[in-house]
Amino acid sequence: MTPAQHEGASPPQSLGAAMLKYAGLLLLAALPLALLWNNSSWVGILATAYLFAALAAAWNIIGGFGGQFSLGHGVFFAIGAYTVARFYLDLGVTPWLGIFPAAALATIVALLISWPTFRLRGPFFAIATMAINEACFALANYSDAITGGPRGILIPFRAGLSNMIFIERWKYALLMFAFMAIVVLITVWLRRARLGHYLMAIRADEDAASAAGIDVLKAKLQGMALSAFLTGIGGGLFAMYIRVLDPPSLFTLPDIGVKFALIALIGGIGTIIGPVIGALLIVPLENFLRGWLGGDIPGGHLIILGAILVIASLFLKRGVVGALIAANRRVRGRR
Amino acid sequence: METFFNILLSGILLGGIYSLVSIGLNLIFGVVRIVNFAQGELVMLAMYATFFCFAKFGIGPYFAVFLVAPLMFLLGLAVQRLVLQPLQNEPMMQVFATFGLLILFENSVLAITRGEGYSLAGTYSRAVIDVFGLKASVSRVIVFLAATGIALALMLFLQRTMAGKAIRAVIQDRQSARLMGINVSRTYLLTFALGTALAGVAGALLAPIYTLSPYIGGNFILAAFAVVVLGGLGSVPGAYIGGLMVGLMESFAGYYVDPALKQAIWFIIFVVVLVVRPSGLMGQAGAEEVGLREQN
Repeated sequence: MTPAQHEGASPPQSLGAAMLKYAGLLLLAALPLALLWNNSSWVGILATAYLFAALAAAWNIIGGFGGQFSLGHGVFFAIGAYTVARFYLDLGVTPWLGIFPAAALATIVALLISWPTFRLRGPFFAIATMAINEACFALANYSDAITGGPRGILIPFRAGLSNMIFIERWKYALLMFAFMAIVVLITVWLRRARLGHYLMAIRADEDAASAAGIDVLKAKLQGMALSAFLTGIGGGLFAMYIRVLDPPSLFTLPDIGVKFALIALIGGIGTIIGPVIGALLIVPLENFLRGWLGGDIPGGHLIILGAILVIASLFLKRGVVGALIAANRRVRGRR
Repeated sequence: METFFNILLSGILLGGIYSLVSIGLNLIFGVVRIVNFAQGELVMLAMYATFFCFAKFGIGPYFAVFLVAPLMFLLGLAVQRLVLQPLQNEPMMQVFATFGLLILFENSVLAITRGEGYSLAGTYSRAVIDVFGLKASVSRVIVFLAATGIALALMLFLQRTMAGKAIRAVIQDRQSARLMGINVSRTYLLTFALGTALAGVAGALLAPIYTLSPYIGGNFILAAFAVVVLGGLGSVPGAYIGGLMVGLMESFAGYYVDPALKQAIWFIIFVVVLVVRPSGLMGQAGAEEVGLREQN
């Protein structure tokens, strides 16, 4: 892979200019919300899409920029969700503050499980993180006191800004949009920061990165910490959005852990705006397929999602963003 | 004391199941260097094919295995040729592709069967061997014997035949193997198909033991990964012995700790092995890292 295949090997813009550019792109992503303001089912889909865009962007920090293919992000997501719910239900802490212990706990757990597993590379790392996800799934089913076991936790509907529970769906959509914007702008910063360059060097060649004096393990752990921190916040927001937390809705791989990676793949792994594009394509598509096939063919929408995953891995390796960049270059090359 | 021996026996028999499922996975792992997340679903497909043979044509599972395994071999050829070969040097995309196949197979079967649970158990798993108070179901003993036989046959095949030597050469160094005139991509193709056929054997022999469900692959794949990590990447005896060890650990932990925690036990195996000896018990040291380097 030549460096030029990825967007801007050496970023031509200053941080401020890049922030402005991506803020503009984010406003574009808000356009569907502005247009479908009154359609409550679409607003709900968009809220989910923005949340998953943020989560895919958070995954992209370590999975895309760092090339560490984690399938275990469902764990950090679930920790965020359970922590926010427990702080809110048991201690009466507002979710607006509860997301901080949630993110901190997700980060600590991420560091603890990453330290041994970062010895592994590529698919072996993916297997280990998948095992972590399944182990935590079992533990969540098992530990009744914290997670409510298989029955789950129900957060009662008490609408109010301080409870982060809203009657109107567009308020959720705005909240998720704001979260997405923050995560995307963090990746804009990361892409230009020292850590971002370290992570991309590690993705390209771990041994060369190490030989060049990069502390590989430290950089990976920092990337993972940032990624898990944001994923934990996302889990907390998800908890207050769906308000019913049972282990399958937090740990099921095709719905959570793999979905983050899939969204990033469709949009463009290791690109800044890719996760947003991926989520805005995949989440509505999945909703549509579920409605269209769900009743008649059990698992029908997942058949198509699985096929998309195979086809995208074969023919759309750089995602929509990568395809656009390639097309752009071809057009310019002809002139 | 009798309880202890019963747990020991059930652990060994469970280990036989894990060995049987893991051998094919580990062969693919070691040779083609692909982590096949869909291996459990290949076993699941074979289980349904076996059930179908019985329900439609009255062919029992121990005969159907000779039909199902070749069919799975063909499926393996198709998957390797169409999906995995184009992704040979892209480990990330292989993860996506095989995970996509997993979701695809699982939900296709769900759509076809409409989630109805099938079972051959009533017909086949009643028979029990009883030796000095130790009870073992015949179908599980057959699985254990098959796993042992296949492990031995595969080791002989890899040691003694030309094709087996070619496979071992590719495991060691694909570039040098190519220079020695070995057709590497054909070796991949045949090895992947062989691994798939072994999943077919496993599925046919497991069909009388389990109630069939589209999601049953998930029960095998993590245990199989734990076996592979424990036994060593690409090692046939490693997969066999690793399978027995994981089976024993699960059986004892299930009795003395809690059956609900078996995933946690696999995970502990994972982490301990990864930290202490990342290459597994019988794998080549460093294989978990070197194995992924691009080799052209």
